[in-house]
Amino acid sequence: MNDKKVVEIKNLVKSYGAKDFQTTVLKGIDLTIYKDDFIAIMGPSGSGKTTLLNILSTIDKPTQGTVMLDGKDVTRISNKELAKLRKDKIGFVFQDYNLLDTMTLQDNIALPLALDGVPARQILERIRELSAAFGIEEQLRKYPYQLSGGQKQRGAVCRALITNPEIIFADEPTGALDSKAGKDLLHCLRRVNESGQATILMVTHDPHSASYAKDVYLLSDGMMKCRIGRGSDRKEFYNRIIDLQTSIGGDFS
Amino acid sequence: MRMLRFSFINFRNGFKSYLSLVLSLSFSILVLYNFQNIIYSEAFAVLGQRNKQYIDMLIQTVSVVLVCFLFFFVWYATNVFLTRRKREIGIYIFMGMSNRKIGSLYMIEISFVGITALLAGVGFGVLFAGLFQLVMGAVSDTEIDVRFGVSYKPVVFTAVSFLTVYLIFALKGYWNIVRSSVLSMISAARQNEYVHRKSQVFIVKAVLGILVLAAGYVLANKGTNQDMLANALLAVVLVIVGVYLLFGGLIPLVFQTLAGRKSFLYSGQRCLWVNQTIFRMRKNYRTYAMVCIIGICSATALATGFAMRERYNNMILFDNQYTFQLLTNQPNLGEQAERLIRGEADIACQTSLEALSVDRDHLVVAYSDVKRAAQEGGLSPIVREPADNETFYLSHQMLLSLIMGNRQIPVTLGDEIFQETEVIRQPYVGYMQKQMGCFYIVSDTAYERLRQKSQTLYIHNYKIADDTDFERARAAIDVLISNTDENYTARVAVNPFDNDLEWIKVLHALCVFMFLVFIVAGGCIMFMKLYNDAFEEKERYLVLKKIGFSSRTLAASVAKELLGAYMLPFVVMTVSAYFSVNALGRMMYTNLFSIYLVSMLVVLGVFALCYILSVAVYRKNVGV
Repeated sequence: MNDKKVVEIKNLVKSYGAKDFQTTVLKGIDLTIYKDDFIAIMGPSGSGKTTLLNILSTIDKPTQGTVMLDGKDVTRISNKELAKLRKDKIGFVFQDYNLLDTMTLQDNIALPLALDGVPARQILERIRELSAAFGIEEQLRKYPYQLSGGQKQRGAVCRALITNPEIIFADEPTGALDSKAGKDLLHCLRRVNESGQATILMVTHDPHSASYAKDVYLLSDGMMKCRIGRGSDRKEFYNRIIDLQTSIGGDFS
Repeated sequence: MRMLRFSFINFRNGFKSYLSLVLSLSFSILVLYNFQNIIYSEAFAVLGQRNKQYIDMLIQTVSVVLVCFLFFFVWYATNVFLTRRKREIGIYIFMGMSNRKIGSLYMIEISFVGITALLAGVGFGVLFAGLFQLVMGAVSDTEIDVRFGVSYKPVVFTAVSFLTVYLIFALKGYWNIVRSSVLSMISAARQNEYVHRKSQVFIVKAVLGILVLAAGYVLANKGTNQDMLANALLAVVLVIVGVYLLFGGLIPLVFQTLAGRKSFLYSGQRCLWVNQTIFRMRKNYRTYAMVCIIGICSATALATGFAMRERYNNMILFDNQYTFQLLTNQPNLGEQAERLIRGEADIACQTSLEALSVDRDHLVVAYSDVKRAAQEGGLSPIVREPADNETFYLSHQMLLSLIMGNRQIPVTLGDEIFQETEVIRQPYVGYMQKQMGCFYIVSDTAYERLRQKSQTLYIHNYKIADDTDFERARAAIDVLISNTDENYTARVAVNPFDNDLEWIKVLHALCVFMFLVFIVAGGCIMFMKLYNDAFEEKERYLVLKKIGFSSRTLAASVAKELLGAYMLPFVVMTVSAYFSVNALGRMMYTNLFSIYLVSMLVVLGVFALCYILSVAVYRKNVGV
């Protein structure tokens, strides 16, 4: 394991509502993510997965606690710094791809670097590398509406990786894909993680997807209930996740 | 009843999104009402019956143009509205509603929009009617009798015109929904948005567009002004077709080529706004073309107004060159006439000429005599002396004339045939030249030759220094009028307070208003289009924010995209309007370049204002 801390969450609390009618969604989460980690966070509906991801993505603010990202407390920095942090340090992958239908897949992938003022030649070189790694070279000139879900999601992962972010936050990345496309994507994610190109935090309800991660955290009722490591066998890891899921109960769909 | 309530709730809740449509329609109604109101308000009645008749006729013509404009405007606006609403109301199909019911719902909803626009348009129209008349009077530099009050006739005309046009397109929308499939309704907003990226089609369209446009420009500007007028209709059609082809071919081609060059595209926000423009091009090119054509029309309308105004000024100068003129067979009447006038008024300038009555229909003047009179009367001299067999016809200033300066027409003066080679519009023989229409200049030699066979007449011209002395001076000189064979003396008096031509000034004001109406409408169309686009773009900008782009970056991209949207029609309009105004200037024998510049600057100003507003509203709507 790499010792460099990418994300460090301490006593994270998030409540919604007015003073007398507060609902606490996250009840003191502690989590440290090291470089080259591949973490899956699972939990039943309403357990706080999305809230946690929104806070980590700097889209939402916590009520209490600290979130250190690349050595900076994201709860205390200005909006301008936050935007810069999001742009430079974080890559996002969403369930519904969120590719822009106004541009080709290549332009979608290039967008973050183009906006950052990186020379076109370097951008094209980087796109070539990533598209080869994800098997979408042939699709680069196509528009999102001309692509399958799997191709779109691989394109979205390329876009997330192009800036060499410190961490990738993936929100149900296989949620909209069929099992074959989902499996291909997860293989790709694992490959880039294992080759040291990305630290990944994935939120999922799917034990199969989670079994591709190195560690799975189970979030329930706003708290981290347990953590299980993969070991060497993915299938055995998958079975353990299922067992854990059954023991915790709740709606994981 | 339930449908009515449902539609009203829809309308009330979505009022914000209808606002641009309501405002644009109200503006058109306001303008139409105000023009009609001028006819019924009798504001121009003070100018006399004849002027009033002309002005009413002009306003009716302008109203016809405005109703035509309203037709296309409502067509465009309801189309945009329908596409937007179709997707939303298409969802009702899953609630078990039939197409017919959804169509009715749309009809009722759009009726609320129409009625609100009509009430607002007429309401503000009534409110601003007085101001409109005042401005009209000020722009036309005429005294008008501003009357505040509501006359039902303009309200009825405006309401009937608008509602008729509106109903046609509401029914069209209804029919469209009834015939739509579920799928097309749900995906309506996204339909047709993907640009067909066949470059060959774009290239053909672009080349055709450039050729057709160039042909239109050439046709409008070549040949004599008779040719230009004959070609005008074809030129207009070619320019319209050319502009559409240009926007449908050349501009997408340019943008697509730019997007293909990654070294250009991957630089700052270009990747965003260039792609965004391409994506919207198929739908937008018609809007750009329409706005561009409206802009060309507006610049031409303004130029027409100023050309007319210049003509008016020239006509007034021509008519008032001399206040009194005498045509007599008495050789020594000049001194007596001068004495009589001087008894009542100071004379600012006076000239005398000799003319030959060569036959019943023609009066001939000698070149050197006219040259001298021109100098004494402060007029520009004749360019050259006619040749011996040549004559120059002395015409007058006209509002519209197709007679060219140079021509070859045989004219029989006495018993000699001359070639009429020039038409001169300088008032060398004053108002008499216009009234009698029978004066010809010949060379001094020809004049002496004709003298033998003609009766000699004497023309005395006087311009009084103070116009207020006119009536007294006329009474004094009138004693000289005689109609006997021995003493034939006719008098021409030009009343400086005569306002028979005031309607031309109103025509000028109408043209200025048409210019403003067209250009504001062009701005409104662009604004409306972008306002609606913003709603469709909301999701896309949300994605961009989610993947980490700062609001500042996105705002810069919005500003650039919208700048392109306004600049594209402006650039094409600037080039096209140059040719149309130039053609008009040639037809009207005047240089309208400064008017062209002014009109383009005003267009730029209006567009800049709309651009600033569009950027602010767009940013607000997409949340950046």
